[in-house]
Amino acid sequence: MDRLIALVALRWRLEARAVSGSRGRMAALLVAVPALGVFSLASAFVAFSLTRFAERAQPELTLPALSALATLFGLTWALSPLLAGVSATETHDLGKLLPYPVPLPTLVASSLLANLLQPMVLAQLPPLAALSLALGGGSARGPVALVGLGLGLALVLAAGQAVGIALHAVSRNRRWHDRALLVGIGLGVAFSLLPILLLSRGGSGFRRLALLLLERDVFALVPFSWGARAAVHAGRGEALAFLGWAGASTLALAAVVGVSVALAQRLYRGELDLGEASGGGAARTRMRLHGVVGALVEKDLRVAWRDPRTKALVFTGVIGPLILLLFLWQGSAGPLRPGLLLAIASFSGLGALGSNAFALERQGLGLLFGFPADRLSILVGKNLGVIALRLPALVAVSLATLVIAGPGFVPAIAAVVLLTQMLAAAADNYLSILFPFPVAAAGRDPGASVSGTRGLGAAAMTLVATMGTLVASAPFVFLAWLPELLGERWLFTLTLPLALGGSAAVYFMATSGAARLLERREPELVARMAGED
Amino acid sequence: MSDAHAIVVEGLTKTFRRQTAVDRVSFRVARGRFFGFLGPNGAGKSTTIKMLTGLLRPTSGDAVIEGVRLSGDLLALKRKIGVLTEELPLYERLSGEEHLLFAARMHGLARPEARRRTEELLDFLSLAPERGKLVVDYSQGMKKKLALACALVHGPSVLFLDEPLNGIDPVSGRVVSDLLRRLTARGVTLFFTSHVLDVVERLCDEVAIIDRGRIVAQGTLDEIRAQRAMVGDASLEDVFLKLVHADVRREDLSWIG
Repeated sequence: MDRLIALVALRWRLEARAVSGSRGRMAALLVAVPALGVFSLASAFVAFSLTRFAERAQPELTLPALSALATLFGLTWALSPLLAGVSATETHDLGKLLPYPVPLPTLVASSLLANLLQPMVLAQLPPLAALSLALGGGSARGPVALVGLGLGLALVLAAGQAVGIALHAVSRNRRWHDRALLVGIGLGVAFSLLPILLLSRGGSGFRRLALLLLERDVFALVPFSWGARAAVHAGRGEALAFLGWAGASTLALAAVVGVSVALAQRLYRGELDLGEASGGGAARTRMRLHGVVGALVEKDLRVAWRDPRTKALVFTGVIGPLILLLFLWQGSAGPLRPGLLLAIASFSGLGALGSNAFALERQGLGLLFGFPADRLSILVGKNLGVIALRLPALVAVSLATLVIAGPGFVPAIAAVVLLTQMLAAAADNYLSILFPFPVAAAGRDPGASVSGTRGLGAAAMTLVATMGTLVASAPFVFLAWLPELLGERWLFTLTLPLALGGSAAVYFMATSGAARLLERREPELVARMAGED
Repeated sequence: MSDAHAIVVEGLTKTFRRQTAVDRVSFRVARGRFFGFLGPNGAGKSTTIKMLTGLLRPTSGDAVIEGVRLSGDLLALKRKIGVLTEELPLYERLSGEEHLLFAARMHGLARPEARRRTEELLDFLSLAPERGKLVVDYSQGMKKKLALACALVHGPSVLFLDEPLNGIDPVSGRVVSDLLRRLTARGVTLFFTSHVLDVVERLCDEVAIIDRGRIVAQGTLDEIRAQRAMVGDASLEDVFLKLVHADVRREDLSWIG
């Protein structure tokens, strides 16, 4: 018991110090806690009102609806590290505690107990209390219903912990870690898009499916719903049903804790064989592109394709303009006007702004600046890498144009995307040099966020750079679109090369200036990015 | 500056906010010498290397490396030097072979020559069997060997090596230290830091000891012993501990033994 208390106290002490030791976290907590409190009370009010209403109006719906909500809550909580990249409840770093002679079940239990005082968990208590009050109607059945709901919450916390430990196991192998990260980003994007799909013209199928699942009470099969079902039966005075569901929920809780213990045991003894992290293929590397610029582009494309975060960014770069197109398409009565397509092309091109020329370098930055390559070549190579990585977005916008407006518009739209990307990359070079993103220190996760962000000044500069890019690209966009305005599409053969050539000239002038700036500020830039200034 | 000196450092100082990490450091290293730069943790070794390689701008002072002034043309300087820093700046999502080819090409080598040197270095440092593995999956020792290969690929005339043998297995350690010796014999100057004083004593012709940002001794081991009036058989470790005023505790823990 002493060890259990010591472990729980250690967790709370570490969390308190993490907050008190960082002004940023303290400020975030001061903002987040009241907001969480208000949200929690509002949820309690909504839960109480809706449950009372359902119990009076359609009592047969209460059980499946609460089961569905409990399932959704349980899944989002347990999968929060995958969906949001942040765990709703943390687990002990068991690796640091394993050298001590503490039984693994004690370690797992201490982590679970320590979670009970986390703000996110405490915020669930008012809605649960309100729900039990609504179900029990103020009688002695209320506290019994609360027991059922408490069991459900405990199961969710335990499942969150098990997922955390499983992800930790997976992250010991780089290949599996990358896959988990990519799946997580994919799930996160899918969850974000779900409301759009449900509200869109094609969303009626999804709505029908949801109603069917509710009617069939399918969520009764999911353990996350068992505590809620016990609570509903307790509220209705059905003692046997309550005991059945509460017992099932308790068994599920014990099973999940057991899985956590077993997983931790296998993980830290190295019994989980996840295979080789990467193959040592004997095939020789082929160099396809020439010179310093070619070497940089090849390097950036290889690194981006193998880094799940960057790979995901490439896909989201495609999804962004397409979602905008979908919105505009949904909002318009007839076909989309070509002018809107032009705006979307510019918006897509502007995506290169903020790509940060040195973002892909991460911890290789010191090496890059150690090379005696002229800085203009380095910037051009980095920019070409960014533009190449955004090619899928260009293809997506072109295909959408083909479908929505016909083939006649595709060359002009593609040219606008490309020339805006070029000019946005040129503007971004200045931002990258003047307001660099810091990189993680050696030995730390290179993908982890690092303190010392670009700040408000940089945000203002980004706005200026966006305006500058739009102004600089305006004459070339006009030139690219001129044949459409004149109704003489054969003129595209003349105006598109001129527009692209002109914007390339502006790009080189701007990037030459950025290269000179880089030469002057290089040591400061490296020091700032390494957090050594 | 005499032509015989590959590195001349004059009053180099670096201040971070109000803390002086390197304080008016001056020294000279003759061409083709194996120069050891020693000091306890946080003494200013890595900061000095970063300044000498153009990765950090000095607050004051200057240096001349192979005739190129630090405050002058940094690209000219970078053509002449090879650097292995303690942080091992590597691209984790490239394979070892891709990384070395990339480094060679960034130094301006033609593709056939980049290929030839990459093959030779991979073989020499026993990295060939793992050439296709991503750097992120390399062990610390393999990463160190790869970073060293990147520092050597363009044939630099001055090498700055921060803890080059740390984390490398004994066999590779011998291969690397023999290589470094041969490089000095061919006129390459080595600026070398290590915490393993036996290695420094075995390899280096000359050492400088830095403590709290200041050089406290410089010369051959015999010269330093003579300066500090130490007996002739005093090891580098003895000299080092005396110079940095190390507090070496000798009492036992009360509950052990």
